[in-house]
Amino acid sequence: MSLQKSIKSTGDRGDQADNTSICSSVTTQPDRHGFFGGAQYSPEPKRTLSPSTILKREQKWLRMLNNWEAFMSKNYRKVRERCRKGIPASVRPKAWLYLCGGQLLLEKHPHEYEELLRAPGDPKCMDDIRKDLHRQFPYHEMFIREEGLGQQELFSVLKAYSVLNPKVGYFQAQAPVAAFLLMHMPAVQAFWCLVSISDKYLSGYYNPGLEVLQRDGDILQALLRRTAPAVHRHLARHKVEPVLYATEWFLCALTRTLPWDSLLRVWDCFLCEGVKVLFKAALVILAGTLGDAGARKRAAGLCETLQLLRHPPPDVLAERYLLTRMQRLPLSEDDFELEHQRQTARRRALRDRDRDRRYVEMETSRRAVRDAAAAAPAALRKRLQARAPRPRPQVRGRQCTVVVSSQ
Amino acid sequence: MAKTYDYLFKLLLIGDSGVGKTSILFRFSEDAFNISFISTIGIDFKIRTIDLDGKKVKLQIWDTAGQERFRTITTAYYRGSMGIMLVYDVTNEKSFENIKNWIRNIEENASADVEKMILGNKCDLDAKRQVSKERGEQLAIEYQIKFVETSAKDSLNVEYAFYTLARDIKAKMEKKQEASNPPGARSGAHQLRANEQQRKPTSWLSRCSVL
Ligand SMILES: Nc1nc2c(ncn2[C@@H]2O[C@H](COP(=O)(O)OP(=O)(O)OP(=O)(O)O)[C@@H](O)[C@H]2O)c(=O)[nH]1
Ligand SMILES: [Mg+2]
Repeated sequence: MSLQKSIKSTGDRGDQADNTSICSSVTTQPDRHGFFGGAQYSPEPKRTLSPSTILKREQKWLRMLNNWEAFMSKNYRKVRERCRKGIPASVRPKAWLYLCGGQLLLEKHPHEYEELLRAPGDPKCMDDIRKDLHRQFPYHEMFIREEGLGQQELFSVLKAYSVLNPKVGYFQAQAPVAAFLLMHMPAVQAFWCLVSISDKYLSGYYNPGLEVLQRDGDILQALLRRTAPAVHRHLARHKVEPVLYATEWFLCALTRTLPWDSLLRVWDCFLCEGVKVLFKAALVILAGTLGDAGARKRAAGLCETLQLLRHPPPDVLAERYLLTRMQRLPLSEDDFELEHQRQTARRRALRDRDRDRRYVEMETSRRAVRDAAAAAPAALRKRLQARAPRPRPQVRGRQCTVVVSSQ
Repeated sequence: MAKTYDYLFKLLLIGDSGVGKTSILFRFSEDAFNISFISTIGIDFKIRTIDLDGKKVKLQIWDTAGQERFRTITTAYYRGSMGIMLVYDVTNEKSFENIKNWIRNIEENASADVEKMILGNKCDLDAKRQVSKERGEQLAIEYQIKFVETSAKDSLNVEYAFYTLARDIKAKMEKKQEASNPPGARSGAHQLRANEQQRKPTSWLSRCSVL
């Protein structure tokens, strides 16, 4: 099969004029991760560990996987340490499945995946999913072909999730995560991993409203202020908000951001330690990209800064640099927990204040209309009263007396 | 840094997921079409400086994710934009019907005098068309918004659309200045910057309550 042809045949069926530019840097040989091109293509051979080290690690991991429950309950630190060192490629898929609890879910619901696939699925969700199938890792051998096996499996996994959890349904950020999982394991396993990641690791990220994402943006900012104050100041000065640079990092769990070797290592940690690993990676990227005064000077504006954060220098994203820096960050479990609580409380207060303000505004305008009505002739009074806005029914009375300025 | 432009316009692309916003922007900024695009997660932007009646106009164009769920974060960025492209897909009826909702969104979140334009994209796919050009025009008349059918793939009307929107913004700006300044006292770009300053309160990133 000619690759060029397969790329061309996607998307532009039945057209003659061909001014379509196929990515300039597409090769005919995939790299060792299956990429033919694109930003995450890594042609250079990896500087690997010695065969004996790899073998030793594999054996350790196999022993651990055969005794999983015991290790996780009694010796979590050991598991974590081994994840931080990097899981050997040969056992990685199984290790991920165990780490995230996908294996447990699979054992508990052995036939659920097939059953979910038999359901019709919400038509809107199905449409949304279909539109995204060819827009995930288009340079990867698994997804390069329109309606190839990879895209079919991607559809199934996303559909099954949307049926299982109709509250979330399908959110576009789930597609790259699911596709990434599918590169490593069979569809049914990828599905249960996706369930675990969507509902536990990134709990709330995919819910309508995206409040959790915004809160995590605040947490990231607060942590940055402690770990890299100069970078924090720079971002604040140019009004570079987390929503603008970290949305894709968080929602896609860095799958679209990192070079492949780094991504695999970060995910080894992420599935073991949870979402704070994404924060750590984000903090290292921010500090690595803008930590230098010269870099900040060159990025003197919102767009310049964003541009830089969208394409951080390769050495900042390189496996060794990123992973070492992440582990060296001076942040404890407690720091994360505390900041989490602080930002959650702050958001809640803001929301209450906002609601109170809306209520006060409404009350004021209602009173104004009532006063006007009292002073008006009877016919007009009736019309005015009909238009008077009603107070929101569910506002708690206690809070209504608080007058808060909107500034 | 020295300014290399006379005007800076902030534009925004909105519309349902998959209608081709990113492709249109890529066509305009890179003059290419790439079938290997990935869906947009969040907000992205591109910059291109164009020449408009002898003035250098820098366009800062923001591309947003189309799925409904992203609106809570994207609408916060409507406020500072001076021009908005509403994009639908001529092969997708639903995306056309949704233009009304997107317009409502603009009314609720953007400044009142924002320039708008409706684009019916993918007009190269005639065999799959679901929305006729006439219906597009009709909708545009109804809302008194300019309209054009485009193809990011065949590079049809994309340049035209951005130039038109930019020209309308420029005209509006100059008219405003003329109204607030006695004629003769004007001095081109200098005035403009003063005008930019006045815009500050509604500046691009002024954070209007995100929740
Ligand atoms: N035939 C044709 N296809 C197009 C055209 N514009 C975009 N497409 C295709 O439509 C699909 C979606 O395009 P995108 O540019 O990613 O759509 P989007 O509006 O940015 O979507 P979101 O990022 O999800 O909001 C891609 O597969 C494009 O190749 C066009 O003018 N003609
Ligand atoms: Mg897009």
